[in-house]
Amino acid sequence: MSLPLLLSVFAIPTISIPFVYLAGKKSTKAAAGFVAAIALINIALLAMTIPAIQGADHFYKETYEWIPQLSGTEFALYVDGISVSIAMISLVLIFVAALYSVNYMAGKKNLPVYYALLCMLSVGLIGVFLTSNMILFYFCWELMLVPAYFIVGEWGYRNSYKSALKLFIFTHAGAVFVLLGIGATYWLTGTTDMLSAQGILATAANSEIAKWILIALTGGFAVKMAVFPVHMWLPDAHSEAPAPMSALLSGVIISAGAYAILRLSFGMVFPSVGLSFGTYFLYALSIIGVVTAFFGSLLSLVANDIKRVIAYSSIAHMGYTMFGLSLFPAALASGNPVALASPIALAIVGTVLHIITHAASKGLFFLTAGGVMHQTEKRDIREMGGLASKMPFSTVSGMIAALSIAGAPPLACFISEFFIFMGAFQIIQSPGGAFYIIPTALMLIATVFSLAYSLRFISKVFFGQFKEEQGAVQVAHDAHGSQSQPEAPVTESHGHRIVDIPNYMKAALAILVVLVVLIGIYPTFFVQLIQTVTFGAVA
Amino acid sequence: MMLEEFSAWFVWIIPLIASLFVPVIGKYSEKARNYFVIAIAGIVGVLALSLVPSVWSGEGEAITYTIPWISGFVEAGVYIDSLSVLFTCLVAFFALIIAVYSQGYMKGEEGLTRYYYLLLLFIGSMIGLVISDNMLQMFIFWEMVGLCSYALISFWYKKPESIHSGVKVFIMTRIGDIMLLAAIAILFYMFGTFSFHGVIEGLQSGVFNTELMVITAFLVLGGAVAKSAQFPLFTWLYSAMEAPTSVSALLHAATMVKAGIYLLSRFILIFAAAPALIVALQPYWFPTISWIGVITAFIGATLGLMTTDIKGVLAYSTVSQIGFMMAGLGTAMAHTTDVAMSTGWFASLFHMVSHAFFEGLGFLLAGGIIHALGTRDMRLMGGLKKAMPLTFALMIIMIVTTSGLPPFAAFFSKGLILTSVMDAGSLIQTILIFAATAITFAYCIRMFSLVFMGKPSEHISKIHVHEAPKIMLVPAAILAALCIVWGIAQPYIASFMHIELEHTLLGAFTSAETPIFLLLLLPAFLLAYASYYKNFMGIRKIAAGKNPLTAILNHAYFIDDLYYGIAKGINGFSAALTRFENALFAHIPDKVGSDISDAAAPGHVMTLKKGPSDSFRNYVAAAVLGFILIMVLIVLTVGFGGI
Repeated sequence: MSLPLLLSVFAIPTISIPFVYLAGKKSTKAAAGFVAAIALINIALLAMTIPAIQGADHFYKETYEWIPQLSGTEFALYVDGISVSIAMISLVLIFVAALYSVNYMAGKKNLPVYYALLCMLSVGLIGVFLTSNMILFYFCWELMLVPAYFIVGEWGYRNSYKSALKLFIFTHAGAVFVLLGIGATYWLTGTTDMLSAQGILATAANSEIAKWILIALTGGFAVKMAVFPVHMWLPDAHSEAPAPMSALLSGVIISAGAYAILRLSFGMVFPSVGLSFGTYFLYALSIIGVVTAFFGSLLSLVANDIKRVIAYSSIAHMGYTMFGLSLFPAALASGNPVALASPIALAIVGTVLHIITHAASKGLFFLTAGGVMHQTEKRDIREMGGLASKMPFSTVSGMIAALSIAGAPPLACFISEFFIFMGAFQIIQSPGGAFYIIPTALMLIATVFSLAYSLRFISKVFFGQFKEEQGAVQVAHDAHGSQSQPEAPVTESHGHRIVDIPNYMKAALAILVVLVVLIGIYPTFFVQLIQTVTFGAVA
Repeated sequence: MMLEEFSAWFVWIIPLIASLFVPVIGKYSEKARNYFVIAIAGIVGVLALSLVPSVWSGEGEAITYTIPWISGFVEAGVYIDSLSVLFTCLVAFFALIIAVYSQGYMKGEEGLTRYYYLLLLFIGSMIGLVISDNMLQMFIFWEMVGLCSYALISFWYKKPESIHSGVKVFIMTRIGDIMLLAAIAILFYMFGTFSFHGVIEGLQSGVFNTELMVITAFLVLGGAVAKSAQFPLFTWLYSAMEAPTSVSALLHAATMVKAGIYLLSRFILIFAAAPALIVALQPYWFPTISWIGVITAFIGATLGLMTTDIKGVLAYSTVSQIGFMMAGLGTAMAHTTDVAMSTGWFASLFHMVSHAFFEGLGFLLAGGIIHALGTRDMRLMGGLKKAMPLTFALMIIMIVTTSGLPPFAAFFSKGLILTSVMDAGSLIQTILIFAATAITFAYCIRMFSLVFMGKPSEHISKIHVHEAPKIMLVPAAILAALCIVWGIAQPYIASFMHIELEHTLLGAFTSAETPIFLLLLLPAFLLAYASYYKNFMGIRKIAAGKNPLTAILNHAYFIDDLYYGIAKGINGFSAALTRFENALFAHIPDKVGSDISDAAAPGHVMTLKKGPSDSFRNYVAAAVLGFILIMVLIVLTVGFGGI
């Protein structure tokens, strides 16, 4: 294959950033269209790599000379079944976010900059999934953070810069550990390529250092995943961000942490840590996963801020993802390759699928919540209710999102959780798997809680009596004039009739609704791609 | 494509796809939408019936058809045997009955497009559930009928009780769902397949872990108990009565609530592939089912004596009658390892159908009464005999059938269950189940007296009571006719199910349990008669008063209070956890963060937000420019030589 497919995926949005800005100067719609078009083109380009992935090699690679002085560091672009699937769903979310922003961000300041930042975010985000070079990976990893910081800060709600700063500092602190891990790997192996590093690590006798590398990398990525107890940046950042950014943050950016654990922790370091350490490491991950899932679900059950409910549910779902990762076949730790097509690795297929299904569902959830906030100008779910009659479209999409998050079939998240649980029982029966009986039982119980908070959300927001008088109360309260706050949402339109969301937002939601239902019924496309991957095979 | 293959696929795919068209058609014409739904229900009925001949003439072997689905994991498929076809026909028949009945009952309601959409979605899912060839597909539909149930219970989404009940029902049944999921996972691990055939072949080969299979069987039972509203998870069915009555008739009497019975009878069939497994299950698993069954039958019947909600009586009656079916399944394999020789297995399914007829009839009639009176409270009824003569006449058939009087349907079906329980040999179970039959008669008479006899209440005298419209009475009359004749069909159904039944129709009159049963009805009748017509010993006063017995019955044995207590505890814990989170994970980092940033650049964060946006633009412009520079450098160093 001689077409520079992956390089184009990188280069097109990069080159376009100033043009998006210039287009935005003329018309913000044009800028949004520009970003959306780039995402579509990139999806098409990525789709062209699929034949190679389904072929004999199971990967698609392009390398270009980059920094030869750094022991031959190449600009290595590499996709396999896992990364191409996650990259594609990320691009879908970028596309949807751009479309959604046309209505949602209308009337805000500095929109050309917003769209340029969105374009820039897509470079970093996609770059993470597209490379096998650790330096390039780290570069993209940090690159995600810069536009995220500005978007949350400038276009967010309430104390947005404080939340943005929290996001930046926490994930940056995590990234320091990642850098440490990458540096140590380079020092140990003399290469910056993940694939060759894995081979060298496996033969090197320094498994003690490999253990520390594993912990540093996983710990760093766990901060991005916002698992307990390093989750504290997430509820603020996700709830204060503008809705499209919340959707991206919760949908794919935190899941990038899970992807990175798969790619670097498991794909690179894990095969050389030895069976006993590897087993305990996995046990630890599964405890973290269970605690996180319960923590997030329980907090979501009593949260009253519409976006905090969803943000805590993201934490809970990162718990599921972490639990899924912990079900990695421990055999890999002793250097045995693990093919995802084998039944023992069912949970890992499920975990990757969960990253995808959660991205679509949570994106839909946040965008719907954003639409509700946009139209009602409220964010406390106790003040809402009865929106089903006023906003039927949002109600349908909100219910589909909430029920998917709750794991109700035939929606997307069900099928991935099903894979994870099927895999869990496979692992339980394997040597050393008896440990997983209790975590698995607890995770099954946690699904009851996720159903509970999802139904609570639906009941409070969409069902019940429509509370028209609430606006009047708010206005009357403000008229007393004692505590009117400048940051509080404007109350002018409370007296107005509440109508459903505008058309661009509807279109954006419709795409995700279709995706959530479609993946739920027919996940085969992604499953086939994911199953082509083999961990631990020496390249 | 063979006819039955075509039918087996489309009997559930057509309603699922048609449901998507309901909103589209509903936009243009409400009338067209209603006819469309009836037409689809009719087509489903025809397709379901077309499955009957091949199963009847077959040897009892299941036929499966599969198509690719999730590669390397599971294939989608349909599984045609007498059990699945029996359920399919029942669901299809009731779908048609309810589709017609709804035209009258739901007339003039808001949100009917949603109602009919969910109705078709439910029909497709329910048939999909019983005709699935593998456990994943079955589980998906299992959850989807729960979803439809949730959405239909919350149909009047503005009423707080509807919302509350919907959530309660969904969450309580989810507890069973996770057990079923675990069972499926274990089976998948053991046999490497989700398909029933695969599991049966695995069991036949004899290579399986018996202990693990027993655990699996208990998990399956957990799923069935929650779905079929059995002790101790039966309280949701009473709450589910917030649904429109047509929905209660279809979901919570005739079909969905029987999914647990389907599941157990299906798995008994599967387990029977390995006689050794049945032997392993005989000491604990089967007795557990029959205990749950008889306890539920008894509890449900006693609760039916107390509730003042007319639908509540029917709900508890359903709980109790499903308890009978469970008792039948639990005693099915007491003396045999072959399902074809089992009275209990057949009795349970036979009673399942007759229950669908008489309880469905009860709900349809109750719907007419609620429609006319605007209330579900039986204390506000009374003396309806004159105002609603047709309903009155049909209700007599319903009462007689429910009580199991000869020669109506339940006499034969319930009689078989009693025989099976007696044969199994547990004295306490036998006593409990006979007590339940007696109480059944009592609560039937109580309901009947409160609603139709006596003087009209004040509430009734204030409104003009009208007989239910024809479109609601005709479906009820059809069910009433079936109540009368269904019992006589017993030999044909047995041959359809490929069961070798020792008991003949006439044998039902002469067998040992019939005189006991009839004798027991007498005191029940006398007691009910004495209390509701003669006010003997002030029983009604005692029942209305406060004493330990009424406290237990009014609180449904305090089981719901226990669940609410748990839910409250979880909520309280979550609230405490939130305070902990705010203190430890939000407040402290914020404090530290602001101290540091104050020390580094006083007021930095705030000025950035409050400052003019121009400065912000400069910031971002600088950042973007830097980024572009870096990217340009990268592109330059990369060079395009490699292409």
